[in-house]
Amino acid sequence: MCGMCGLLGGGNHWSNTTVPGAGTGVNGSANARRQRLLQAALANRILIPLRLRLDDFHGQSFVLSSPTGASEMVGDFAQVWKVAEQMLGRPLDPLTLFQVDEEEHA
Amino acid sequence: MSLAYDILPVTLVTGFLGSGKSTLLADVLTGDAARDTAVLVNEFGEVGLDHLLMGEVDTQTVLLDNGCVCCSIRGELKDALAGLFSKRARGDVPTFSRVVIETTGLATPAPIIATLLADPVIRSHYALKATITVVDAVNAETQRARYPEWLAQISATDRIVISKGDLTTEPHINALKRSLHALNPLAEIVERNSSPDALRELLFKPARFAPDSVQSVSEIGAGTVRLGEGGGRLAHRVAIERNAIVSSCIRLEEPLDWQVFTLWFTMLLNRHGDKILRVKGLLALEGAERPAVLHAVQHLVHPVLHLEEWPDASRASTLVFITEGLDGASIEASYRRFCAALEVAA
Repeated sequence: MCGMCGLLGGGNHWSNTTVPGAGTGVNGSANARRQRLLQAALANRILIPLRLRLDDFHGQSFVLSSPTGASEMVGDFAQVWKVAEQMLGRPLDPLTLFQVDEEEHA
Repeated sequence: MSLAYDILPVTLVTGFLGSGKSTLLADVLTGDAARDTAVLVNEFGEVGLDHLLMGEVDTQTVLLDNGCVCCSIRGELKDALAGLFSKRARGDVPTFSRVVIETTGLATPAPIIATLLADPVIRSHYALKATITVVDAVNAETQRARYPEWLAQISATDRIVISKGDLTTEPHINALKRSLHALNPLAEIVERNSSPDALRELLFKPARFAPDSVQSVSEIGAGTVRLGEGGGRLAHRVAIERNAIVSSCIRLEEPLDWQVFTLWFTMLLNRHGDKILRVKGLLALEGAERPAVLHAVQHLVHPVLHLEEWPDASRASTLVFITEGLDGASIEASYRRFCAALEVAA
């Protein structure tokens, strides 16, 4: 828990695991927070071209928003992709994602 | 009352109907081992019979007789585990230090593992130590061809015990071992006729995250193993082809960017989790000295653990996938594309 704001850490989903050695105690929780923001920023590199946007919500959840004004709170990344698929109305398949871009460049 | 806050190790024993799970437990759990162990038995059917075979551990046996663990009674499994823990804390049952869950022969292990991993109450008191699957040497081929549950039990397991070996021939057992190894190269395979002490060790040793089990991951080497290459009868091959289960190993020389990996892996499991029967990986993470161990069964990922040290000199990440209808090459290509698109080194 963050002693300053009283927020709990971002749940116990495996994707919230932090890399060991990158800081423990106060540094550890800062690391967890930093990792969360990095994850959200990286996820936005995938989501923004699809006109969706992911924001961290107080280190506890994420908020996924669409250009139509729909926004939904999601707990972890397993849920982020599920909700993103619902908002997009089509599957987000990592096996084919970015494949088209690559073919266009070739 | 320090007992109330212990985390008890749980061993999950699966195996198809009639494979000999109860007999194995009745043989292994005698004397001190029985006193120290609570057994939860799940029986599918009108009359629960299995608990009658386990007279020695009767006081600590809880029978879940409302149906199959795999679908209908996850809540009941949770209640049984929570009830057992509170009885232990109150002193209503003799103190025990470990739990064995014997599933019905028709259960697929993933939902049971989900209950153990995801439920906040259960998670705080119990930790899944290992999954053991008992395989009937005589009927294995038929069960494999007909029942998807059999395959789910084999692919999710950490260790396999071959029972009824005395009812068949040595070459048959060897062929069975080869095909089991091809299905789940990560599982340790032993025969039922080992000594009770060896079986007890097999049942309770915490091998899942131990360096020797990780060693086996790094020994597998890169490439895809197409199942059915080990020979075998035609019926076997047809079953394998129909199921299209492959086990493949991905090796990545460069340290992984953990943030990118979690994004990619959560997305992969979200879309293809039902086809990914099992993943075991030893990961070299950027910025970390120690390797991380990743375990997944279908959509479920165990808590990520960090080993104290690398099992050998290699510092490459190794990921073993047991999949149905997905090949390792496309999974690896997908990860590399993902890294390239997010502009990090793969």
